[in-house]
Amino acid sequence: MRSDKLKHIVGLVLLASLALANHSCTTVSSNEEFFGSTTPPARNIFRYVTGDEPETLDPTISNGQPEARLYLGLYEGLVEYNPKTLAPEPALAERWHINNDSSEFTFHLRSTGRWSNGDPIDANDFVYSFRRALAKETASKNASMAYYLKYGQAYNEQRVFVRDPKTGEFLLAKDFVQDLPTEPLSGSAIDPAKSEYIPDPKETTPDPDSAFHHLMHTPQRLTLPGDEKARNKRLDADAKLKEAVAGKEFVGVKAEDIGVEAVDKYTLRISLSQQAPFFLGLLAHQVYRIVPRKIVEQYGNTWAHAEHIVTCGPFKVKLWKPYDQLVLERDPMYWDAANVKLDEIYFYPILDNSTVMNMYKVGELDAMYNHAVPNPWVHIIKTKKDYMDKGEAAIDYLIINTTKFPLNNPKVRKAFNLSIDKEAYANWRRIVKPLNGFMPEGMFPGYPVPKPEPFNPAEARRLLGEAGYPVSQNADGSFSCPKFPVGEVEFVYNTQAQNRAFAEWMQAQWKQNLGVTVGLRNLEWKTFLEAKEKLEFKGFMRGAWGADYMDPFTFLSLFYTGGENGTGWEDPKYVAMLDEANRMLDPQKRYELLAKAEAYMMENQPIIPLDTTSVNFLKKPYVKGMYPNPASLYPWKYVYIERDRAKWDYGTPSLTAE
Amino acid sequence: MLRFIVRRLLITIPTILVVISITWVLVKLAPGNFYSGEKRLSPAVERNIREKYGLDKPWYQQYGKTMWPIIRHLDFGTSLKYEGQSVNTIIKRSFPVSAAVGLLAYLLALVVGITVGSIAALKQNSKWDYTSMAFAMLGISIPNFVLGPILVLIFSLGLYWLPPSRWEGFPSRNLILPVVTLSALYMAYIARLTRAGMLEVLRSDYIRTARAKGLSERDVVLKHALRGGLMPVISYTGPAFAFLLTGTVVVERIFALPGLGNYFIQASLNRDEPLIIGIVAFIAITLLLMNLLVDIAYAYLDPRVRYQ
Repeated sequence: MRSDKLKHIVGLVLLASLALANHSCTTVSSNEEFFGSTTPPARNIFRYVTGDEPETLDPTISNGQPEARLYLGLYEGLVEYNPKTLAPEPALAERWHINNDSSEFTFHLRSTGRWSNGDPIDANDFVYSFRRALAKETASKNASMAYYLKYGQAYNEQRVFVRDPKTGEFLLAKDFVQDLPTEPLSGSAIDPAKSEYIPDPKETTPDPDSAFHHLMHTPQRLTLPGDEKARNKRLDADAKLKEAVAGKEFVGVKAEDIGVEAVDKYTLRISLSQQAPFFLGLLAHQVYRIVPRKIVEQYGNTWAHAEHIVTCGPFKVKLWKPYDQLVLERDPMYWDAANVKLDEIYFYPILDNSTVMNMYKVGELDAMYNHAVPNPWVHIIKTKKDYMDKGEAAIDYLIINTTKFPLNNPKVRKAFNLSIDKEAYANWRRIVKPLNGFMPEGMFPGYPVPKPEPFNPAEARRLLGEAGYPVSQNADGSFSCPKFPVGEVEFVYNTQAQNRAFAEWMQAQWKQNLGVTVGLRNLEWKTFLEAKEKLEFKGFMRGAWGADYMDPFTFLSLFYTGGENGTGWEDPKYVAMLDEANRMLDPQKRYELLAKAEAYMMENQPIIPLDTTSVNFLKKPYVKGMYPNPASLYPWKYVYIERDRAKWDYGTPSLTAE
Repeated sequence: MLRFIVRRLLITIPTILVVISITWVLVKLAPGNFYSGEKRLSPAVERNIREKYGLDKPWYQQYGKTMWPIIRHLDFGTSLKYEGQSVNTIIKRSFPVSAAVGLLAYLLALVVGITVGSIAALKQNSKWDYTSMAFAMLGISIPNFVLGPILVLIFSLGLYWLPPSRWEGFPSRNLILPVVTLSALYMAYIARLTRAGMLEVLRSDYIRTARAKGLSERDVVLKHALRGGLMPVISYTGPAFAFLLTGTVVVERIFALPGLGNYFIQASLNRDEPLIIGIVAFIAITLLLMNLLVDIAYAYLDPRVRYQ
């Protein structure tokens, strides 16, 4: 009798909780225009969730997304992102000249730049910061973003020059390295008859010349590994080189050798080792934002802690309680302080997305980071006018281990690609657009996107048959492929409920269209990364890439150096195609060549493209000046709180420049 | 008694060192690195990072570099993930948050649990008994990652009474939901243990003696029955207290509290070796101390234990 009663009570309570759960659905799906409270904060403040706790407030070291967002408030570089288009705009540099082949850049700094402690900012701050970013001791995760600087990579990798002790002459790269791209203008002797730069009618005095400038304008020197073992290996492999090196001395590449120079107090000249038309856009990246030499040298690895930190951006640190909050306040020292609109920004590190949604709903947050809306909520949240819906410079795809049987056969890879219905996939995911190539949809105007063949299951079956695994149709209309070695192929994903659904979706496609059942395997995140890096997986893995800068090369370069992409696919022909494209000065022709390289890479199918992602976050209608741009980077100085309801954002604000 | 305590404390030290060593080995064996991420680093960058943190050294040197400062002055080193932040500082900063929530949850669980459990035992088979035990059952079966969001749903999103998350210092209204969420399970357990313990004691001879002596029912319950009936509760609450104090991952995540539990799980996911070792050692020490306290309390409450 007792247990009966208990059952009764438990039943009632369960019913009650079900009713509550139901209640949750109704509160979310109610026909309100916006999601939750729309009362602006009383003061001129902005409350935001960054995602994870920042590793450090030192912009040089960290390469994380949550950190990148903070740095946009705390630090500035030569240029800053346009809040809508992300195009580089003058920041600490007032104006600049780019030489005729985009290999040398001269910046004129504004004289009003100041650190948050009042110290003036000049060209030497940039020289120091760039050298520090490339120093081995700094161990910056972003260092490779600065490898474009002449000898920057050699310095970061601690390589050595080879010098003749008698003459003081250095061995040159062009004498020993095959397929070296032709020397850019920045490395060729200055021809007094020709101007390096397109003459600017507004500029009356020419940029000052210097001995260092002439030094940079000499052909690239040969560098060898600093590590003796690696160096000897290189020498043993090249008899000519070994002979040339005999009797010479090795000179370590020093910070002073890097192609960055303070020509005078407010003029900075950057020499690159190659032509890089996208370099200006890259300069807004965190690795090129400056750090205060005095403070860094005084406090070492704790310089960026709240008690010591000195910054140069529109905001400075007011309070930092790790894993709780980071409060920034407007910096009166900032050169453009008059145009900074917010008084304070509160950054909360919150990991649980439902918690983020709750705080947003009750009005304790004004916006949240990109991709914070949990997938199951999207179909309801998407109808709200504070949901941001715009394409993103990011793609999802499947990585294929091209080194292992049977996927080392391009035909098999193609068959697996053609048997996935990307249209259906995008509909299922709700917030993405189908993708057939390797370039996010509509991000680079003028780029002639190659159009690889979309979903074609019949062709996929034909290809698989050609590869030696005939697909036959069963009586019930389904397919089977008995000869395919299913044990050799797996779908590996990192542990997360959403990823499991994703993996099952792919599995179903292949089962349905090829008759092949691919096994699923989940791995913890870091284990997953290790398997990817060491190519210790068979079959497929989930991959994603977001733009580091707004140029197609940020995607295509993923296959430029092997190893980074996790597929094991490397092809010198592809590399040569990219090099050729980047030597092209005409932007349209360059795009065409890059697109050709993309088509060639897709022909080899080291990856299976899936979708262009969309931004996926909420922003209160009263938050203005924050635009859902393609890389989700928001220069905070433009953000403000609008109290006039008529001027609010009802829907996603436009990204077209006014 | 004093000798017993000293001996137990001395055993604690090698135990902790073994715990640290095992943790160290496990972290070393775990695949992946603290610096690995979606975007792979170039080999040179990776080498620079490994050199900076001494990961290029042979294993015994790394082990020595970890252990020596710990043995000498309990210095657990600097976090790999959080640039320049010492592990000791992180623990010092996050432990009070976990401890505040844990202590409140513990007290709430004890007070409500013992009260409800005693009432249920004294009024066995009444509607009080059934109702309270039904709730206890519910408390045990609803995991806190379900209970937390339900409470938030009702009290924050529905009624707008309480803030849904975040730490606003001690004391504050923000503490109410996490404390209730955290204590529910313990409250339920304690209620059930108290009820069981009391029922057993109430039937024993010395209670009958006490009643025969003519003691009031109040004295019988408070002075005699409760003391005996609480023995199982005490052996349970010692380790439970340690766990509550050192933070619980789920509650700290749901309510975005900057506590130790949050750091612990993040440190493991990030492969932040010094931080993992520091927190494991800290939790181990707390646990061992709590167990010692339990043993002392046992001796105090039950003379039979003391004289053995």
